[in-house]
Amino acid sequence: MIEIKDLHKSYKMGSNSLHVLKGINFKAEAGELVAIMGSSGSGKSTLLNILGMLDVADSGAYTLDEVPIKDLSETKAAQYRNKFLGFIFQSFNLINYKSALENVALPLYYQKVGRKERQEKAMSYLEKVGLKEWATHLPSELSGGQKQRVAIARAMAAEPKVLLADEPTGALDSTTSYEVMDLIQKINDEGNTILVVTHEEDIAHMCKRIVHLKDGVIVEDKKIEQVRAEQYV
Amino acid sequence: MFDRDIWQEIFHTLRNNKLRTFLTGFSVGWAIFILVMLLASVNGMQNGFTGQFNDDATNSIFINPGTTAKAYAGFEAGRRIQFKNDDFDYIRKSFQEEVEYISARYYTGTTARYKSETGSYSVQAVHPDHQIIEKTIVTNGRFLNQVDLINRAKVAVIGRKVAEDLFKKEDPIGKFVEFNGLPFKVIGIFTDEGDDNAERIIYAPVTTYQRIYGNTNDINMVVLTYNPTFDLTKALEFSGRLEDLMKRRHKISPEDQAGLYVWNYAEAFDDISKFSAVLNAISIGVGFLILVAGIVGIGNIMVFTIKERTKEIGVRKALGAQPKQIINLVLLESVFITALSGFIGLVFAWIILSLIGPTINTPAFTNPSVSLSTVVTATIILIVAGVLAGLIPAVKAANVKPIVALSDK
Repeated sequence: MIEIKDLHKSYKMGSNSLHVLKGINFKAEAGELVAIMGSSGSGKSTLLNILGMLDVADSGAYTLDEVPIKDLSETKAAQYRNKFLGFIFQSFNLINYKSALENVALPLYYQKVGRKERQEKAMSYLEKVGLKEWATHLPSELSGGQKQRVAIARAMAAEPKVLLADEPTGALDSTTSYEVMDLIQKINDEGNTILVVTHEEDIAHMCKRIVHLKDGVIVEDKKIEQVRAEQYV
Repeated sequence: MFDRDIWQEIFHTLRNNKLRTFLTGFSVGWAIFILVMLLASVNGMQNGFTGQFNDDATNSIFINPGTTAKAYAGFEAGRRIQFKNDDFDYIRKSFQEEVEYISARYYTGTTARYKSETGSYSVQAVHPDHQIIEKTIVTNGRFLNQVDLINRAKVAVIGRKVAEDLFKKEDPIGKFVEFNGLPFKVIGIFTDEGDDNAERIIYAPVTTYQRIYGNTNDINMVVLTYNPTFDLTKALEFSGRLEDLMKRRHKISPEDQAGLYVWNYAEAFDDISKFSAVLNAISIGVGFLILVAGIVGIGNIMVFTIKERTKEIGVRKALGAQPKQIINLVLLESVFITALSGFIGLVFAWIILSLIGPTINTPAFTNPSVSLSTVVTATIILIVAGVLAGLIPAVKAANVKPIVALSDK
């Protein structure tokens, strides 16, 4: 599903450049639930941004669902993001003046799905994350956990190949974090490929595989026994 | 472009920033208001000027004899020039192409009497064409015609005031009124847009008057209208030629300004239309500069809005919004504010104009108003202005890097 080969990325910081990714090789199959771990500055967010086509690598190859991701124009990148990827952010990034339902429907709007179908689809995803009753509420009227569930529904609405979650539980307390992880696990159970960037051990262990990043290289890549979040909820 | 979702978003932004929207919109609305008012004022002045002249056909030429100021061809200076019927016939026959309507004028005064009422009026003995040249409006009966002229009929067309003075409540048509003791049949009543004195005039056939009062061939002046297809150059050329020929005919020096007056309305009209064209240009210029200030204001606010919404735009891009969709959103918002507020300014100006416009009726300033074309032009300018104002901010928005916008750190 995802394949990257010898990925390099450095940032210019004034006169010196900061080499963030120093040759990453990584492969993820469909249906995997991978945790990308590392301390801050390890390059895990940069990797996620490149995977999410929000940033471009200096060198190396990136293939997503057999499509080479290379030299994309802004418009093409936007189309690919819309088609292939669903984003879940630490700070939710819901649009604050749109209701939960409208937020979920937004990626479908950019897919040019008709209004009625969009509403129906968005509603079914909201139902899936258990927030059907909150459809007309604004993000400011929702709790942190609810917001993240709306964000997850939004990420899934476009039916992407891969879900990318950047510290999805970073802004939540532990109980809520487990609820969100429970949801992510259930989505993964249905066969969706999910990449989770986190620096929390317990969250990482709720995935099926942990990739450890340190100073721009993968130092460890192991399959693990998944801890189900359900038991903590 | 006419997507419901985009409009929802625009309305939302505007609703959430009422004061900001109002302040920005105000500058554009104000600019359009001033522009329209300026144009309407120029239009009012133009109406005022035209009103001064619309008593007569705008393509008319008046030829008055004068007294020579220069010795010429054996004649001394100070000779009075007298036009005769020959002069009238000469002009009519020599300029069949150029002349549209032509009439001689023979002036005299008269004491008119009907029953016990009497009054003094000036009589203009004219040809039938005079009605069209002077734009005389006959309200009852008819004007003089060719038959009256040939028969030297004792008929008269009297002004509304004359009718009021002499006939009180009686219908004058068909009644006989005495002019210096001779009975004339009233065949028509006319009104005139000029002052009351213009309605204290009596028209009678020139032939009748020449015969009855003095048995002469004298006429006081010749009035005519030239071919209406003439442009200004042709009209001036024609009146110049007319002047030359008449001077030659009466042996007046070509340089003598006093011997003969040829008064061409086209000249006066040309001056006025040049004057109002300049005024128009100035008001458009001033209005436009004010509008530019408004546009800059809107552009400024849009840049600010984009700055505020950087994160949101980043999210949209991450969700698959294409640059052109972002540009669309920003441009449409800008066009919407500009067009709406400009339209409000336009409507305000229009309301004020239609309320007070018709009440203003002074010689120099009459019924200021704006034409539909002005309104349409203003609307187009507004939409273009909105696009211009939104262009830079929109491109800025489209260039927002999602990665920068989304960084939580």
